[in-house]
Amino acid sequence: MTSRAIWRRPLETIAAVGAFCLAWDLYVRWTDAPSYLLPPPADVGAALIQSAASGELAHHLLYTLQNLILGYGAGALLGVAAGVALAKSPRLDRALGGPILFLQTAPKIALAPLFVIWFGLGLASKIALIISLVFFPVLVGTMVGLRSLDSRFADLARLLRLGVWRRLWLIELRAGLPDIFVGLRIGAVQAVVGAILGEWMSGRQGLGYLMTFASATYKTPLLFGAVVLTALLGIAVYQLVETAERRLLSWRDAP
Amino acid sequence: MIHARGVAKHFLTRGARVEALRPVDLDVARGAFVSIIGPSGCGKSTLLRIIAGLETASEGTLTIESAADQRAGFVFQDAVLLPWLSAEENVRFPLDAAGVPRDEGDATARRLLALVGLQGFEKALPRALSGGMRQRVSIARALSYDPPLLLMDEPFGALDLLTRDRLNDELLTIWTATKKTIIFVTHSVEEAAYLSDRVVVMSPRPGSIKKIYDSPLARPRGERTKLDPAFHQLMADLRRDLA
Repeated sequence: MTSRAIWRRPLETIAAVGAFCLAWDLYVRWTDAPSYLLPPPADVGAALIQSAASGELAHHLLYTLQNLILGYGAGALLGVAAGVALAKSPRLDRALGGPILFLQTAPKIALAPLFVIWFGLGLASKIALIISLVFFPVLVGTMVGLRSLDSRFADLARLLRLGVWRRLWLIELRAGLPDIFVGLRIGAVQAVVGAILGEWMSGRQGLGYLMTFASATYKTPLLFGAVVLTALLGIAVYQLVETAERRLLSWRDAP
Repeated sequence: MIHARGVAKHFLTRGARVEALRPVDLDVARGAFVSIIGPSGCGKSTLLRIIAGLETASEGTLTIESAADQRAGFVFQDAVLLPWLSAEENVRFPLDAAGVPRDEGDATARRLLALVGLQGFEKALPRALSGGMRQRVSIARALSYDPPLLLMDEPFGALDLLTRDRLNDELLTIWTATKKTIIFVTHSVEEAAYLSDRVVVMSPRPGSIKKIYDSPLARPRGERTKLDPAFHQLMADLRRDLA
């Protein structure tokens, strides 16, 4: 890649965002939309800067980020562990496959109030919601990955007399990594949704709370700012997972 | 080295018994190069997989004289390298998995990659290697834990003729250098005749041993072997049995 090509994509993105903001600004000016309905981009930026200057923004952002990391990490670990268990034990799969399918198709968002009842208004219910959203896609990805193992790799493991754990760690999980990452990527998007939703419903911290607070007090510019930040957070998390995937699966594309 | 008595394999599909391999008797001497040849469906791969311990015989007894913890080396038809490991790491894989110290594994991998002519490709990933090179890596991997017995399942079947000829000669060199017992499954008459001390001819449906030839050809084998009338006689005999 030439140095010009490296710069092309970010520049294009900046240009697109700039054009969007300009169109937004012009629309607000022409239609004379009231600020509580559609604030101009400059007001949104000002509200963000003001909130950042007071230290409030960083506090909410860090709270959401912390929940994301805890929930996503725990959900991913549990998902991989459960996926391994179900892929390895046909009996367990027969017993739990049905309930898991039911839980997986049930909209977890609808369960959110239940989590509040079970785990209270604090951190636990928020983490539980994120875990429930990350768990299932990772579980399914892991199961698919382990089930689709090349039978010749299984032969190799048998020839080398690898024990269950060595076989799992050295061959199966690595061979299944592309499928596991499909789950991890879906989980990353879901985790952000879960984090925001949890804060929406209860508590006084986080970007989700900032949104409810801003909307309840008609601070529409701040609401817009929180939405933009949430979107950026989602993109950042997704990019992080993708970067990890590219590094760990570099053997797939690099010669 | 290997004594098979009445080894047979059958399995049930929808209640019907399918015979994959009729009872066979086979003896393989230590250090011998034995080829098993036959058309597809003759059970030659099944027999090899039973000897490797990848499948269990339905009947008969199989005795392999080697230390109890000795694993057989196995070379698959299409290499079966782990795509996320480099050539060197693939060769070292059996040692790493068994917890052999790193520097020891390193030294072995380098020595074996040199033996199969892949110096300078230690860090290459499998997808960057040609089919012939991948198969060389796979042979080096099978040799890494120094098994007394090397089982090869049509190892050069997917390669072009030139590469196959070259690898045949290299295999003989490796065999001479390492004094392994080799059982080599193939569907190539020329390959079987050129490489082997004994050629086992199998026939299909149900799989069984039709005939066993002891090779009249002298060692070492080389270009002169291919001009030897006895070589051509052996190939003619094999072709007749396979027809």
